[in-house]
Amino acid sequence: MSAGPIRGNSLAAPALDEFRYDDAIVRKFTLATIAWGVVAMLAGVVIALQLAFPAANLGLEWTSFGRLRPLHTNAAIFAFAGNAVFAAVYYSTQRLCKARMWSDRLSNLHFWGWQLIIVCAALTLPFGITQGKEYAELEWPIDLLIAVVWLGFFGTNFFMTLKNRRERHLYVALWFYIATIVTVTLLHVFNSLSLPLAVVELVKTGQWPRGTDWLKSWSVYAGVQDAFMQWWYGHNAVAFFLTTPFLGLMYYFLPKAADRPVYSYRLSIVHFWSLVFIYIWAGPHHLHYTAIPAWASTLGMIFSLMLWMPSWGGMINGLLTLRGAWSKVAADPVLKFFVWGITFYGMSTFEGPMLSIKSVNSLSHYTDWTIAHVHSGALGWNGLMTFGMVYWLLPRLFQTEIWSKRLVSAHFYTSTIGLALYVLAIYTAGITQGLMWRAFDESGALQFPNFVETVTSLIPMYWIRVLGGLLYFSGIVMCGINTYMTWRARPAVYADPIVRAAPLSRDYADPPVPETALTTNIEFGRKLDAVVVKGWFHRVWERKPLKFSLLTLAAVVVASLFEMIPTFLIRSNVPSIASVKPYTPLELAGRDIYIAEGCYNCHSQMIRPLFAEVKRYGDYSRPGESVYDHPFQWGSRRIGPDLAREGGRQSLDWQIRHLEDPRQLVEQSIMPSYAHLLRQPLDFDSIQGRVTAMAMLGVPYGEAVKPGKAAAMAREQAAALSKQLIAQGGYDHLADTKALALVAYLQRLGTDLTAPAEPAASTQAAATETIP
Amino acid sequence: MADTHDHLSDHEYDGIREYDNPTPAWWHVIFLGSVLFAAVYFLYFGFNRTAPTIWSQLAAQQTAENKRIFGALGNLNPDEPTMRMLMGDPKFMNVGRSQFQATCAQCHAKDGGGLNGVNLTDDHYKNVATMPDLFKVISEGAGSGAMPAWKNYLSTNERVLLAAYVASLRGTTPAGGKPPEGNPIPPW
Repeated sequence: MSAGPIRGNSLAAPALDEFRYDDAIVRKFTLATIAWGVVAMLAGVVIALQLAFPAANLGLEWTSFGRLRPLHTNAAIFAFAGNAVFAAVYYSTQRLCKARMWSDRLSNLHFWGWQLIIVCAALTLPFGITQGKEYAELEWPIDLLIAVVWLGFFGTNFFMTLKNRRERHLYVALWFYIATIVTVTLLHVFNSLSLPLAVVELVKTGQWPRGTDWLKSWSVYAGVQDAFMQWWYGHNAVAFFLTTPFLGLMYYFLPKAADRPVYSYRLSIVHFWSLVFIYIWAGPHHLHYTAIPAWASTLGMIFSLMLWMPSWGGMINGLLTLRGAWSKVAADPVLKFFVWGITFYGMSTFEGPMLSIKSVNSLSHYTDWTIAHVHSGALGWNGLMTFGMVYWLLPRLFQTEIWSKRLVSAHFYTSTIGLALYVLAIYTAGITQGLMWRAFDESGALQFPNFVETVTSLIPMYWIRVLGGLLYFSGIVMCGINTYMTWRARPAVYADPIVRAAPLSRDYADPPVPETALTTNIEFGRKLDAVVVKGWFHRVWERKPLKFSLLTLAAVVVASLFEMIPTFLIRSNVPSIASVKPYTPLELAGRDIYIAEGCYNCHSQMIRPLFAEVKRYGDYSRPGESVYDHPFQWGSRRIGPDLAREGGRQSLDWQIRHLEDPRQLVEQSIMPSYAHLLRQPLDFDSIQGRVTAMAMLGVPYGEAVKPGKAAAMAREQAAALSKQLIAQGGYDHLADTKALALVAYLQRLGTDLTAPAEPAASTQAAATETIP
Repeated sequence: MADTHDHLSDHEYDGIREYDNPTPAWWHVIFLGSVLFAAVYFLYFGFNRTAPTIWSQLAAQQTAENKRIFGALGNLNPDEPTMRMLMGDPKFMNVGRSQFQATCAQCHAKDGGGLNGVNLTDDHYKNVATMPDLFKVISEGAGSGAMPAWKNYLSTNERVLLAAYVASLRGTTPAGGKPPEGNPIPPW
């Protein structure tokens, strides 16, 4: 090949810069990846075991499923996958830019800051300190820390490295890193906007915040809008935290490991931009048939379908890069990990669009099918790609042979077998339960009216999942051992070679538009071919990181605003219901307990307008019913039954005894015991702050915001409920406990829809939605 | 595609090269197809007011099922003859059993023997003297909310059917039933 214009530009050879790559930071991130991977997967195995065998939670409040599940997801996504992404970015960016990271200090602040965030997560989530939004559970001080570390340390360092690069063009891996950094910032900031209790107390109620008051906040969004923001975030966290950076990883490490050119540059361009633009729209497919407006659901579905090929573009470019190198794949475990990782990417990005089809989703939603889908993505794509990268990096980072290649092979086979067992069992569980929920007999009755029957039938599958998870977990333990032993054999002093590269000259002239091979077409067609089809325009962008980043930002912002503006502005999206009133102060306190215990991890509060569902749970949920829900608690999985209309369906006494020990009433229940709530006193002093916070967010609380009023109202209601509980033959000592507040909340759920509207509101009611 | 047809571009990054291969034709076909489908789907379901919605489908199904199950009976009255008629029909008793499992079994046990709620199989009842009282208790609740009120959750027909099913439980003797509570009442 003749040298292209990039390198041929230099007539007189410029003086070469001398510099070194910072591999110490890559070593740190790599070790953290493995260490946190062990923690994340162990937590996964533990909660998987709890579903098959509830006593495995040891009866402790800190180790119940609702508290540990967020720890598992956060550890897997942000600790394991996150550190892997950073290792990949720090290793490849320096080499793709021919430049050391801009600031070693920022690199280290990023590393230690991120580990601090993870430690904070581990120290808050088991104690019920959570915002109650999936994958965004961390409380506001940690959220602030994430923003600083992500954009302030990582982003600044990355973009300054791009600015100081010595390679004229940005390689496709860097495009994906840019998209990751820009979009995750946006997602994190806007989804996490919240009002902290401590601020309310300092500013409004004049109390000095005590203890965990510093660590409690509520989403500024409510109900439909909060659901929309949450799944805009949740879906795109998958897109821009678990997909784009891993595509970047693939584009660097796969051709390196295979020593093959990338299959198609033009495909890179097309699939990058289509992926970035289309992914953002697809969030509402997580909310099919819920109370979101139909147009949003439709957009979520059709953009997911359009996302199929952009996603597969990455798979094609990955797998076809290996053409002619398949014999290497057979011999090299690194490539085996990559091939399986990319294959799982292909499978889950086909499955994703399929699950977004409304009728498929009506079966899969709330079941384990979704869990199987995310694990084929997380364990298959993210996990296997990470392991491939780690094994490729180990000898390079520690400058010695890998300790045991046989152990690498053993890890590969253990993890793929574990993965297969896991997903097959959980696909089966998901489809089984989905079908049981909607099964009717000939007389028109639900065939499995008792929810727990549909749970019991899954237990064998849950055991297989435990086995599969254990195998996958043992794989990462092998990886840990291999890493440790390789590290031990490292040289006393790492070789730190000098790299030489010419700085970019400032007077670079864009090369001319290439000649087109087309001869018979009109001038416009010839120009189109040269500029667009051959990718010349994109070559120009690749020389301008700032422009490239702004274009990426524009793509995600425009797509987001198309959905957000109508969601927030069109009133008819959320028809108001006159009989829906704010929670009482006691119920509000109970709701915060519901959130802290992580009840939403197993119970949805959203009845879809599907026949079987209305039959089982009652009238479907209306958008106007959750207008005061900061944050929304619609949930995403029904490990237990839906609670949207739980209010009044059981007696107070039943609810209390059920919390105390679910199995004394539902023999086969797998729900944890919440006996601690019957012992722990409710913090009445913080209720005023909680009510005032809601009022500041727009909930019409009226009288209750007056100093001292909310706590008095809460005590009054608690006394009345306690009296009623005693009349029902229940316990007589619960008036000031958390359990009674939680039950007060549960007894309110879904009852407003049929409650009589107050006379004053009747004229308004006539203009709003009619309730059948 | 053989390697010989590939044209290597002049791009090189840290030793990584790129082919200038075109995007596969099937990729374009499926991608453009999905875009076309999306456009048609959006226009049809977004702007055609006669297109079915999930709510219209639910309403149609509810009407059809109601008609299929209760058919010519129409609206049921909560009186003894109606309940006796239902009790004599195994099909209706099966529907009632399913409803009982969904809403009542958690307190009264799957077989009616009682857990947290009273035993419904013996001759002792609280707040009930006649069959229609069962309907009343189901509808309005009893015992300071110990027995929840179901009138907001279940239709009149469903409650009549449920009352009939509960009446049919009397005299069955499930193992491990709770001891009698309330007062003995004459047979139905």
